[in-house]
This record gives sequence, C-alpha cells and structure tokens, in this order.
Amino acid sequence: MNNTNQNNTQKSGVHPKKPWDIFADWVNGEEPEDKMEKSEQYAVPQETHELHENISAQTVLHSESEHESHEKGHFLLKEYLTKFYKMYFGLSLIVGCVVVGILIYAVCTLPGYGLAENPTNNEVAQKYLEEGLEDTGAVNSVAGMILDYRAFDTFGESTVLFVAVAAVIMLMKRSMNKKNEARERLVAHEITIDKKDPNLVLKYSAVVLVPLTILFGIYVVLNGHISPGGGFSGGAIIGAGLMLYALAFGHDKISKVIHYRSFTMITGCALLTYAGCKAYSFYTGANHIGGGIPKGVPGAILSGGFILPLNICVGIIVALTMYGFYSLFSKGDL
Amino acid sequence: MIRFIIASVFIVAGIFVFAAAAFGVFKFKYILNRMHVAAKCDSMGALLILVGCMILGGFSFMTVKFLLVLLVLWLTSPVAAHLIVKAEITTQNEEESDEYEVIGK
Repeated sequence: MNNTNQNNTQKSGVHPKKPWDIFADWVNGEEPEDKMEKSEQYAVPQETHELHENISAQTVLHSESEHESHEKGHFLLKEYLTKFYKMYFGLSLIVGCVVVGILIYAVCTLPGYGLAENPTNNEVAQKYLEEGLEDTGAVNSVAGMILDYRAFDTFGESTVLFVAVAAVIMLMKRSMNKKNEARERLVAHEITIDKKDPNLVLKYSAVVLVPLTILFGIYVVLNGHISPGGGFSGGAIIGAGLMLYALAFGHDKISKVIHYRSFTMITGCALLTYAGCKAYSFYTGANHIGGGIPKGVPGAILSGGFILPLNICVGIIVALTMYGFYSLFSKGDL
Repeated sequence: MIRFIIASVFIVAGIFVFAAAAFGVFKFKYILNRMHVAAKCDSMGALLILVGCMILGGFSFMTVKFLLVLLVLWLTSPVAAHLIVKAEITTQNEEESDEYEVIGK
C-alpha cells in the first residue's frame, strides 16, 4: 500500500512528499503544500490559491490580507464548495451503498435466530439461574454472577477505574510546590464569586438533596445482593451526591474530608480488600479446602458470603473515582 | 374501568404537555425561551403522568414511591433549569442581545 503510493508520487512528480509526511505536517499545524494542486483538480481558477493563502493567513492571525480580495475570495470559496459538495454527494452514495452491502452480506451469514445449536445457548446461563442462589447465597442473581462467579472480571473493572483516576491525577494535579499558592488563589476566587452571587437556590436544594442522595446510594450498595443495585450503581449515586455538595458549597469544604492523602488511602485500601477477599476464596476454592465463609439465610442483609464486603469496596472505588474526576477536572486538585 | 379511563386521561394529558414542551424547544430560537418551555412543562408533565400512574396502580406501597419520584423531580428539575439559565445570563454576549426578553442581569 505504502509502496504503491510512493511509486505513484515518484512517477507523476506532483507530490514530492509521502502522504504520511503531509499528514504529520498537518497534525503539527502546518498548511499542506499541495493545496494548490488539489484545488486545480477541481478546475478552479488561480485566485483560489490566493484565497487559501488568505484564509490560512487569517487563521494564524497574521491579518495581512486586504478587505477587497477577501470578498472576492469569499465568492470563489462558495463556488469551490458547491463543486465539492456535488462530488461529496456522489461519493457518499457510493460509500454508503458499499457499507450497506457488506453489512447485509454479513447478516446473511449469521446463524438463525434462536436455533438450538447457537453458541449462546449453552448450559452456563441456566446453571447460573438455577443453582446461583444455592452456590452464592445471593437473592439478586446478577450480584451473585458479577461478584461471585465472575468476581475476577469485576476486580479488573475496579482496577480500570483506579488506573484511570491515577492517570488523571498524573496529568491534571498541580505540582506540590505551587499547591498552596494556587489553592489560596482559588479559595479567594470562590469567596469573591460567592459574595457577588450566593446562589441560594442551589444551596438550599443541596441541603435537602445531598444527605438523601448519599443515604440512598448507601442503601443501594448495602442491598446489592438482595435487590437490584450493587456497588457500581450505588457508588455512582454516592459520587453524584459528593459532586453536588462540592458544587453547592465549594471545594474548600469538601476537601477537609476528601483530600489527596485520604483519597489515595481509601481507594487503595478498598482495592486491596477486594483483592484479599477474592484471593482467599480463589485459593481455598481451587484447592478444595472450602473457605468456611457462611452463606447465611438468603434474603438477609448478612448473607451471600463475600458479596456484601465486595459491594462496599466497589461502591467506595466508584464513588471516589467519580468525585475525583470531577474535582481534578474542575479544580486541578483533590 | 372508570379508574382506567381517569388514569388514561391523566397520562394522555401528561404526554400532550411533554409533546408541547418538545415542540416549543424546537420552535423557539433563544435559549431563555427554550428553557422556559422545557422547565415549566417538565414539572407539569411529570405531575400528570405520575398521578395517572398512581390512579392506575391503586393505593399501595407503590403510591408512596411515585410520590417520592415526584418530590425528587420537583426538587431537582427547576434547580437545574435555574442554574442553566443563570449560566446563560452571566456568560451571554452583548452583541446578540437584540432578541432578549429579560431585562438587566
């Protein structure tokens, strides 16, 4: 592919650069050199080139162009664009037909809907539904699936969130030396905004909503194994409550509780607790020792083995990750 | 049967209010007019549809849940609309100010 392109450019001698180089130049912010030749392909008069130069000059704010030539160029740009759109219409029709053809061909080769020998019809789903309550002790079979049968997968998901927030901290967090100065400036700015416009509507509604939101999130996390919900949804609700608190009352108040140190400590501890619990049950399960974790009465709050502590760990990670993203992107600090 | 008819009248009225809101959001050009339509009709349509659902379901534990949903919607939706409008007013461009209907900032 690349080779043929190179040959073509050498034969015609029109494009001295490889396409990749032009693309790299364009990414680096340079105007491509062969714009004139491209415009000549559409049989546009020579003034178009001047127009291109005008536009590029204006975009980099050199402002050397005269007003008169700009208006003339504007008319030519319109002509150029109408020609381009005519070609664009035909090309988009062809590309659309090809894509639709490929997709229809792919659909024709799919196995029929609901056939017994399809790979989706295996015994795994039935086993989870029939023996899930007995195996895991969780009434909510989804919680039993994601936190018992497939807990390793959920561990990976929690780690993804942790790594994401670590990467955002690396990119966005202000350096330690400038931290105090920037923080004081931000607090002063917030205070001036607050004096100018106290935003009482948001504050009074947040007084009612924040405790209710966080309480409901805790309820969803703790009842993850006996009702719909779980760590991810409950953690998202708690994170939304924390964000609302930070929005209404300012970062300064919430960062007395959740600052960089406590944030990293709590998130790391939650992830390590998850890893420890699952390592124990994997080790004992694989060696047929039997973990000795009581399953409890199905439907009670203390049932389902490790599902409740794992839900709490996942909830903490999700809530703090959501709040951390908000705080890092809006303030640049935790 | 009568209960079903009353409930369906409420729900159809709620759907009509929401349809009017959607129409208004596309009809008006300026953001404050659009937010006005969207915010008002949200509260009214939510009330009508939830009352229709309450009548349809009869008095049970679900009624309390519907009331809670209504409470949360009425608490959050006007506050969100207020904040969006406030953001528009504080950041609006002076040059575009010929189609305002609000006075002052």
